[in-house]
Amino acid sequence: MRPDDLPQALPWRPHDWHKGDHLLALLAANASSHPAEIAMRERDRGIWREYTWQDYHDTVLAFAAGLEALGVRPFEVVQIIGDNRPALYFAMVALGALRAIASPAYPDATPDEIALLAEREDVRCAVVEDQEQVDKLLQLEKEHGERYRLIVYDDPRGLAGKMPERFVAFTDVVARGRERLAADPLLRQALLERPSAHDVAVLLHSSGTTGTPKGVPLKHGHVLSAVRNAAQAGYFQNGDVHVAYLPMAWVGDYIFSIGAAFALRFAVNIPERQETVIRDLREIAPTVFFSSPRAWAGMITRIQVGMDESTPLKRRLYEHFMAFAIDLERRRLAGSPPSLGARLWRTLGEWMIYGPIKDQLGLARVRRAYTAGEAIGEDDFLFLRALGVPLRQFYGQTENCALCAAQSADDVKLHTVGRPFPGVEVKIADSGEILVRGDNVFDGYYDNPKASEEALEDGWLHTGDAGYFEEDGSLVVLGRLSEVAYTAAGERYVATYIENRIKFSQYVKDVCVVGENRPFLTAIVCIDLEAVGHWAEEHGVPYTSYADLSQKPEVYDLVARVIAHVNNVLPSGLRIRRFVNLHKPFDPDDGEVTRTRKLRRKVIYDRYAPILEALYDPARREIDFQATITYETGETGVIARRLRLYDVAPAQGE
Amino acid sequence: MFYRLSGVHHTRYEDTRRLWPIPTDRRLVAVLFLLALSAPLWLSELYLQNYLLPWLIWSAATLSLTLLMGVAGQLHFGYAAVMAIGAYSAIHLVRLGVPFELAFIGAGLVAAVIGCLFGAAALRVKGLYLVMATLAMQYLVDWVIVNVPAISGGAHATLQAPEARVLFFSFADGFTRYYFAFFWAVFMTVFLLNTKRTSFGRALVAIRDKDYAASVIGVSPFKYKLLAFFTSSFFGGMSGAVLAFCFYRAVTPEQFGFNVSTQLVAMVLVGGLGSVIGAYLGAAFVLLTPMILSNGIAALSDAGWLSVSANLLAHLPLMIYGALIIGFLLAEPLGLAKIYDNMRNYFLVWPFKHSRR
Repeated sequence: MRPDDLPQALPWRPHDWHKGDHLLALLAANASSHPAEIAMRERDRGIWREYTWQDYHDTVLAFAAGLEALGVRPFEVVQIIGDNRPALYFAMVALGALRAIASPAYPDATPDEIALLAEREDVRCAVVEDQEQVDKLLQLEKEHGERYRLIVYDDPRGLAGKMPERFVAFTDVVARGRERLAADPLLRQALLERPSAHDVAVLLHSSGTTGTPKGVPLKHGHVLSAVRNAAQAGYFQNGDVHVAYLPMAWVGDYIFSIGAAFALRFAVNIPERQETVIRDLREIAPTVFFSSPRAWAGMITRIQVGMDESTPLKRRLYEHFMAFAIDLERRRLAGSPPSLGARLWRTLGEWMIYGPIKDQLGLARVRRAYTAGEAIGEDDFLFLRALGVPLRQFYGQTENCALCAAQSADDVKLHTVGRPFPGVEVKIADSGEILVRGDNVFDGYYDNPKASEEALEDGWLHTGDAGYFEEDGSLVVLGRLSEVAYTAAGERYVATYIENRIKFSQYVKDVCVVGENRPFLTAIVCIDLEAVGHWAEEHGVPYTSYADLSQKPEVYDLVARVIAHVNNVLPSGLRIRRFVNLHKPFDPDDGEVTRTRKLRRKVIYDRYAPILEALYDPARREIDFQATITYETGETGVIARRLRLYDVAPAQGE
Repeated sequence: MFYRLSGVHHTRYEDTRRLWPIPTDRRLVAVLFLLALSAPLWLSELYLQNYLLPWLIWSAATLSLTLLMGVAGQLHFGYAAVMAIGAYSAIHLVRLGVPFELAFIGAGLVAAVIGCLFGAAALRVKGLYLVMATLAMQYLVDWVIVNVPAISGGAHATLQAPEARVLFFSFADGFTRYYFAFFWAVFMTVFLLNTKRTSFGRALVAIRDKDYAASVIGVSPFKYKLLAFFTSSFFGGMSGAVLAFCFYRAVTPEQFGFNVSTQLVAMVLVGGLGSVIGAYLGAAFVLLTPMILSNGIAALSDAGWLSVSANLLAHLPLMIYGALIIGFLLAEPLGLAKIYDNMRNYFLVWPFKHSRR
């Protein structure tokens, strides 16, 4: 990769960034001004190991020096694969010091997915978490030929001393770098001065709801502009405590755990494993928390399942205070301030119910809670705000560092995503598409001039989302422009909107609403195993597996009630008439959802075409179907089932 | 509702083993400590000297017995005798001119040595047979005290506790008596809480659970059973001395009879085997409930709400008391400590039923 292959600042929008204002300079500044302050904590075998800014800075420079000695060259793309680990964050920053480009991949990506990216970006080096990822790369090389020149691993278990020379432990690289730094006193300063604000800091990938992911190179300047815009709007605060549990390959994690963490000296906390996030979150009690609507909904499901099986007194108190708070919050958002009595009653509820629940979830200290990525269900949003979690929506894409617009603390409305950040221009195209311009908007896709040209026009980023401005200047996002669809009868609908309403039920994990150019709407439903399983236990419905549970007549009735409930608020042409319970959940390994759990409709339509045909054939009551599933290793298997097609009873008044 | 656990995290393994990792528990302990420390300021002399003081002393005695019965699993039905040895030793030592501080430790040593002699029986017998061996100790010690005038001063004599000072404070002063008993209870509490976390405590638990399994993993039952009897008797003897100097002020053999031994066992059992808070709750239950019941029933009868014969009136408190013990043990065989624990858990996971995954 030569530097001139990378997207350059576009002629109509020269960045006026100061060359020395990059992430490494911030790291060095933090290390000299607050050397003993905690920059990162990692939970390791039950206790939190702490890294101060001084440790962070020293490790990053040593790793950079070591990597250079091992032959990592400027402008080379280096893959970062694994769960959130300090070593991987250090590596991402250290690559910046060498002007090389870190490209994080999802830890559960299959070898084929990694191979695809590696080939396109000519990757020869990787920094990986553990043996699992190393095995993945070895598997990939077996199928696609030898590729990697250097693989650095963090966790030496099962690897140390057994691997060929090109596999090096993270600690060895750091040790080697320390020797170099000790031998050459000028190297330290040189490493800090090498990068420029105009260098690419990280190469991320668009979520790829349509087609294969595109490379999105974000420069130091983009990241810092985005973070500073947001901080100016009061969106982050100095010294926030943050939990880094979202995949490192997601733009949100990069912006929070490195961008904002450096600019505003966050304490970044890394859970022990993905499975322990919930517990670790409670141990840390962060002050800023960022999650996807999916994860927020999962949190609410956990509360509801927990309360369902709680003791009668506790449940009654919960039901009373929760209903009270939701009602209060609804009226507050509608603009009527609560009365003194209501405020006092809420204070009592805070002590009895809201406080303890927030404490159990680890959200007791959250001052800034955010959701983004897709629209959040109204009911979820109300529920969390009623609980006292100051949840706000924000809006952004990978292409604009995820920070584009956000609700302000005192002005939260259900349907808007708030006003654009200072320094970010947003306008609506004639087609209804949202366009964004600013220093946080990237300069073009990686090695894909055609796509870049389509996405960037005169510096305006075409987001692909439909939206409009309210009178007070806040932005309303309707959904993907491509998802606005019409039924055969010409009714206009946005599938995600209906899906989100259905998904607020704890029993539904995923749902895909179908109806484009069809006479009516239908749905493919994936039940939530935890919630429905619990419901089945309570109601004496025996089951053996997900597939078995999903086809129980009682479960069909349960899901039908959920859908009928949503149908009540939909116009009659947009009611869901038929649905099928799928016998497997949608899985990113099967390509049905992205790693961030957005539906890939094209894949679903293709794969389940026979089911869709049957759904629109009134004569059919059931269908035999074989679903292929892909395991994490890339192998495939098949689950065959007879699926029932269920007609939803017509809503009242029909 | 009261417990807030978020934000509690540890950076060293040592911290994860601290006594009260939950802030609410720490606050509760601090409040109780301060309340007890300031008790002379807000509690009347009557309640201080007749309720709180004996409760603290008996709790300390129960704590030392719980080390033997609850932690090490060795039944002891002659613990009043151990306390008697301590009480008489301390009084005689002070009479001989030994400073109280030394006499106090001496009382413990004498009790420990004699306790160990009988405890040695535990090396050969277990369960009911050990109960018999310790009962033998109770009667032997009783007999010796009553029949050796040099010890008791005569068959029906009362032995006055001599004037003594501890660290310049005279026992003639009520404050000294209260604070000495209080700090003794605090010391025993801290000792037992920490013992349970040491290798010694863990060895005792191993012996309790199965002594020959313990010996397989290298815990010598011989050594640890003797140590358990020694330590427990040592502190039991000292508690007896505290009882003699701070509360009774004069001792007679009847004060350490077999019925007292059974009461001590009841305190440990009702409170909850091996539990520190259980020792306090058990002592309070066994000691204070009869007093409160008889006061209450007397008040009811005086007010004319309860018209029963004087004979029944005297026995009614005992009947209710017995029913209460049976009731509590039926409801929760693991004792009052477990009931407290259940209540704590109810609030700990509030508003859920159990902790969330």
